[in-house]
Amino acid sequence: MSVSKSDIITIGLVLSSVPGYSETFFRSKIKGLQRHGFKVILFVDYINEDEADLGCEVVVAKNFNAGVLKNTWYSFLALLKSFFLHPSKSLTLYRLNKIDGISFKENFKQVILNQFFLAQNVDWLHFGFGMLAVHRENVAEAMQAKMAISFRGFDLYLSPLKHPKCYDLLFKKDIKYHVLSQEMKEDLLNYNINSKNIKVITPAINTQFFKSERQAVFTEKIQLITVARLHWKKGIEYTLEALAHLKNKGIAFHYTVIGDGAERERLIFAAHQLGILDQVTFTGKLSQNEVKTKLEKANIYIQYSIQEGFCNAVLEAQVLGLMCVVSNAEGLSENVLDGETGWVVTKRKPKLLTEKIVEIINVSEDLKQKMRNVAISRVLSEFNLEKQQEKFVHFYQN
Amino acid sequence: MNKNLKIAIYSGDIPSTTFIERLIVGLSGRNCHIFLFGFIKHKVSYNKSISVFAYKNTKFHKAIYLLKYSSLLFLFKNKKKRKLDNILKKKSKNLLLDKVKCYPVLWHKPDIFHVQWAKGIGDWVWVKEFGIKLVLSLRGAHINYSPIADQALANMYKEQFPKVDAFHAVSKAIGKEAGKYGASKDKVIVVYSGVPKRVETLIKPKQNSFFKIISIGRPHWVKGYSSALDSCKLLKEKGLEFQYTIVGGKEEIELAYQVHDLNLENEVILLDTLPYSKVQENIANSDLLLLPSVKEGIANVVLEAMSLNTLVLSTDCGGITEVIKDGKNGFIVPIRDPEAMANKIIMISDLQTTEKKEIREKALKTIVDNHSEQHMADGMLALYKNI
Repeated sequence: MSVSKSDIITIGLVLSSVPGYSETFFRSKIKGLQRHGFKVILFVDYINEDEADLGCEVVVAKNFNAGVLKNTWYSFLALLKSFFLHPSKSLTLYRLNKIDGISFKENFKQVILNQFFLAQNVDWLHFGFGMLAVHRENVAEAMQAKMAISFRGFDLYLSPLKHPKCYDLLFKKDIKYHVLSQEMKEDLLNYNINSKNIKVITPAINTQFFKSERQAVFTEKIQLITVARLHWKKGIEYTLEALAHLKNKGIAFHYTVIGDGAERERLIFAAHQLGILDQVTFTGKLSQNEVKTKLEKANIYIQYSIQEGFCNAVLEAQVLGLMCVVSNAEGLSENVLDGETGWVVTKRKPKLLTEKIVEIINVSEDLKQKMRNVAISRVLSEFNLEKQQEKFVHFYQN
Repeated sequence: MNKNLKIAIYSGDIPSTTFIERLIVGLSGRNCHIFLFGFIKHKVSYNKSISVFAYKNTKFHKAIYLLKYSSLLFLFKNKKKRKLDNILKKKSKNLLLDKVKCYPVLWHKPDIFHVQWAKGIGDWVWVKEFGIKLVLSLRGAHINYSPIADQALANMYKEQFPKVDAFHAVSKAIGKEAGKYGASKDKVIVVYSGVPKRVETLIKPKQNSFFKIISIGRPHWVKGYSSALDSCKLLKEKGLEFQYTIVGGKEEIELAYQVHDLNLENEVILLDTLPYSKVQENIANSDLLLLPSVKEGIANVVLEAMSLNTLVLSTDCGGITEVIKDGKNGFIVPIRDPEAMANKIIMISDLQTTEKKEIREKALKTIVDNHSEQHMADGMLALYKNI
């Protein structure tokens, strides 16, 4: 299917916006691919000027929410381009959509909205999230490119609940899938996708940045910490309930939650109602340096998520030597190996989490150090950026 | 105060929520004249004792509206207009919009301006400068949790609440909560919500082949549905044959994921919002109305269910414990405790028919004695007259 346009392999990476400076995954992926001799073109729906400094070409879609007049004008321009600049690709896209039974109106709309892809030549069109490929199922083939999709958690588990059958057409296509964990691969297999087309590439962290010799000593007052968006899927309300039980057991602690989000009011109220607001600090969003400093001062990292693809923050906490307790949500039990590099607790069971925290506090210092060492060396060897980049190179070359 | 009181019921929107509309209609024709100000969402027909002075949310309509009231005030109450302009200039972030909102109030000058939502109180304290009494309703989120997470809001309440002439509390609990922000105890009057007389044709014997549980309400975290679904998981494990419906929960991905995650697809139904008559029908057909909220001022749906011959299980989330006495006219469990909730549901499902009947009758008596629309209107009128 693929026709290489030159000796250099070109990857068209599709995202909704240009990744910000803090979104290390895509930024390091782009840099890594460029280092390995790939050309990267980024396709986005919109752009923030201050975040455009990526060192790769950025192609921005037209904003079709700009009012009737502008939309008409943009549609007219898109049609002109499709007729005169890349008629073959546009016609192929139209025909492929028609074969898939897409109505004329929807097909016409897709040809207009996806024009910005067709002007480019790429070897791979890689959608950064599952939902980004919906209504673009035939774009890669029209571009004579191979198609890849990364599923990152919410798009595999939550989007189909919100938009039933949204992937029905997509999953019939010849696609190479990237997922974050073995668990996600298993779940993707349930959609009758061929196993050989699914590649697990776990997230990775900047191990050099997060390496530290400073480890907080367990004292009378245990320092607990979570780094997460304040979103329901992070399970912070269950965590707070567990900590209320911990308080009832007479254990002194302080819990720091780093991150901001829509559930701030819910969580502050929960901490208040559970009588632990004085033991909890919601810091809001912090810089990476500040996050590292806070992690260095904490004893136990908690990631009691309801839904989680893999979670970089847990990797960072492990490499900094924190005792990590996580839920069994999707990729987390591959991120932390229960009893070896941390502890895994069944999700939505706050009392079990309380018991586990008590158990961790009472684990001997020798065992803590042993687990710490295993966790650190595992993260350093398995979850570093170099290794991840090599896997992506392999992903595109095979 | 004079006999025919002019009372402005202000929620910002026309029509407002069901319970505020009930208050408006309940008060009309009771020797008082009701004024409604604000933004009109869609046309509503009220009786003659209710006057609507509202604008449509378009620039054109707002401009015409502003022009009309600016002219009237300029020609006939110019001194007062200038006084209000000075007040608005000092505090306003959007002077034109504030004039659109405030000028009609100054022109029509009600005796009482009753603000329904506490977060907006700062916008209306000016009415006191013109001899208008200010009343504030203490309802739900605005008092119960928003000021806990938002210190600036709490500070605003502390500054403004002492200026309010009377507070209408929907329960004793919420009145007490408002005390933390400076609502003086002697100014807080509890007037419980009232529900309309029930439609007798809805009352039929319960003939469900499995235990039918229902919750009604928007899918907001305060409603505690996540806790209710955890309970459902326990009910399933314990072998109870049941069906749990959340009316209004359809579009909420958190709930949909929890249902999927806990393998409750066969037991739980997430429905879209329904028209009021359908909601009543659904409540009347259920064996149990569940209110799993973590916090409520008072939940009108509980009062509706008690009136509609349906047993109620509520968490002890605020004012509901002033209405329901556990085991007498309904049931109460602690908040955030799925296990206690599941155990109580099983206990309720195991009750003898005669026991259920007795509790339902007591629930109905509670409503008839304390929560009719007549009671609510009487209570509110007394509140206004005693300022």
